[in-house]
Amino acid sequence: MEQEREILVNLGPQHPSTHGVLRVIAKLDGETVTWCQPDVGYLHRCFEKLAEKRTFPQVVPYTDRTDYLSAITNETCYVEAVEKLFNGAIEVPERAQYIRVMMNEMQRICSHLLALGSMAMDIGAMTPFLYCFRDREKIYSLFERITGGRQLYNYLRIGGVRNDLPEGILGTPSDGEDKADQTLWGFINYFDSYVIPQWRDLVTENRIFQWRTQGVGCLPADVAVAYSASGAVLRGSGVKWDLRKNKPYLIYDRLDFDIPVGTSGRGDCYDRWCVRAEEMVQSSRIVKQCLEWLAENPGPVMAPKVPRVIKPPKGEVYHRIEGSRGEVACYIVSDGGTSPYKVKWRSPCFTHLQLMPYLCPGHKVADLIAILGSIDIVLGEVDR
Amino acid sequence: MDFLKERFPNAQFGNLVNGDVEVLVPKEEYEAAVQCCYEAGFKYCSVVTAIDWMDRLTLVASLCRIDPSEVGVVTIHIKVDLPRTGASIPSIANLYPGANWHERETYDMYGIKFEGHPDLRRILLPDHWQGGHPLLKDFEDKRPQRPRIVRRGSTE
Repeated sequence: MEQEREILVNLGPQHPSTHGVLRVIAKLDGETVTWCQPDVGYLHRCFEKLAEKRTFPQVVPYTDRTDYLSAITNETCYVEAVEKLFNGAIEVPERAQYIRVMMNEMQRICSHLLALGSMAMDIGAMTPFLYCFRDREKIYSLFERITGGRQLYNYLRIGGVRNDLPEGILGTPSDGEDKADQTLWGFINYFDSYVIPQWRDLVTENRIFQWRTQGVGCLPADVAVAYSASGAVLRGSGVKWDLRKNKPYLIYDRLDFDIPVGTSGRGDCYDRWCVRAEEMVQSSRIVKQCLEWLAENPGPVMAPKVPRVIKPPKGEVYHRIEGSRGEVACYIVSDGGTSPYKVKWRSPCFTHLQLMPYLCPGHKVADLIAILGSIDIVLGEVDR
Repeated sequence: MDFLKERFPNAQFGNLVNGDVEVLVPKEEYEAAVQCCYEAGFKYCSVVTAIDWMDRLTLVASLCRIDPSEVGVVTIHIKVDLPRTGASIPSIANLYPGANWHERETYDMYGIKFEGHPDLRRILLPDHWQGGHPLLKDFEDKRPQRPRIVRRGSTE
């Protein structure tokens, strides 16, 4: 009797490496993956249906909970889309825009730290995960002082931000490591002088890590575009594409920063890792420019003429921004009422998960986990 | 978007408030319009979704160009009006593999069937879900309601 060689393995929905509740069905020949298909929807909360029953400002906390690891980014996308619906009637003050950018970039650092830490843990390095949480705690402490929340903020308002930065949170450029969890300058100085070299020495230049990730999950540039990849996945494949540069929103066109891309030409897990690590350096550069501006320019943080009841005129808007994981976009249809007629959330993780059947075949099961870590998914955003 | 205007004189062109282009084409021309955009370099499908207007559904496919030197990119939204029940439309997932899951989600949420889709199943809801398509405006949750828990002694 002929024996079947392939076996079907079910990874998840409860599995430590799936970053939430994701089920991956894989066919294995020995230890090699020959076919795989992700199965999503275990965390579906009908965000888009809920949003149709809430008023415009009430939707903001829901957007926090889609990608709960970079909540500010989602708020920015939604709030800016609603402001665009007003077609210029709401002018967000410059200071609020700088605060938004500063928060966005701090959030990007925070989110990338977890992406790197959890990817390292997925492939067997426990220590970086602890280090990433040590530094994320500092960011969360700062965010708690600014917004009142540690992870889900509801900080952005249609027309600005809820409150100005509290006194003393900016600090001075000479603040050192001892003030890392008290002032923004303290954190940035600590991050530049201590955290970035540590990640480089500990993981990026680690030979074992390189062996595990180089040549795994290669994604050519044209395939990445065809599969609608964005963010670090697209840039890891060598495509220099960043909505902060290519479709500037907020005040990104006034800031000086670079777009890192994958250099090896393979677009493998290691390239995606390096892009994320380098993006944190660039984010820190942006934060520094914002802090310098914020220290010298006090002013209002809410637009003067925001109506009490937010009723955007009839219209449609599709607003795309560069989130921590890729292109976050929001399609809002307004019928002139107090609640959105339709909200569609375009999440990068949902789109990136489609890459799994392309990337995994031919690799070992352990590499499947590395690939999953390198595309950096958050299941809250996949299932919404 | 002159290349589309020349090719599809019957289409209605408009602009969203943020400057994006919207093109309403008849159902028969949808596939040709997408193909035309693809050939013009719009090789990135950002999203596929639908809007329920109560009297019709509007399918929206958002395409854009990935050109690293371009600043201020414009997205083209190709729109098609479809009937509310039993709608079907050619799939673009073979041209844009990234549209695959977005089409599945649109099928799941609005019930639009995509002809020629490689794997048209429900995606966010369970495969055995019988309750309809939840993002339609007249959707009713027919599952038995859970009794509301009220604290003893509450005046409510």
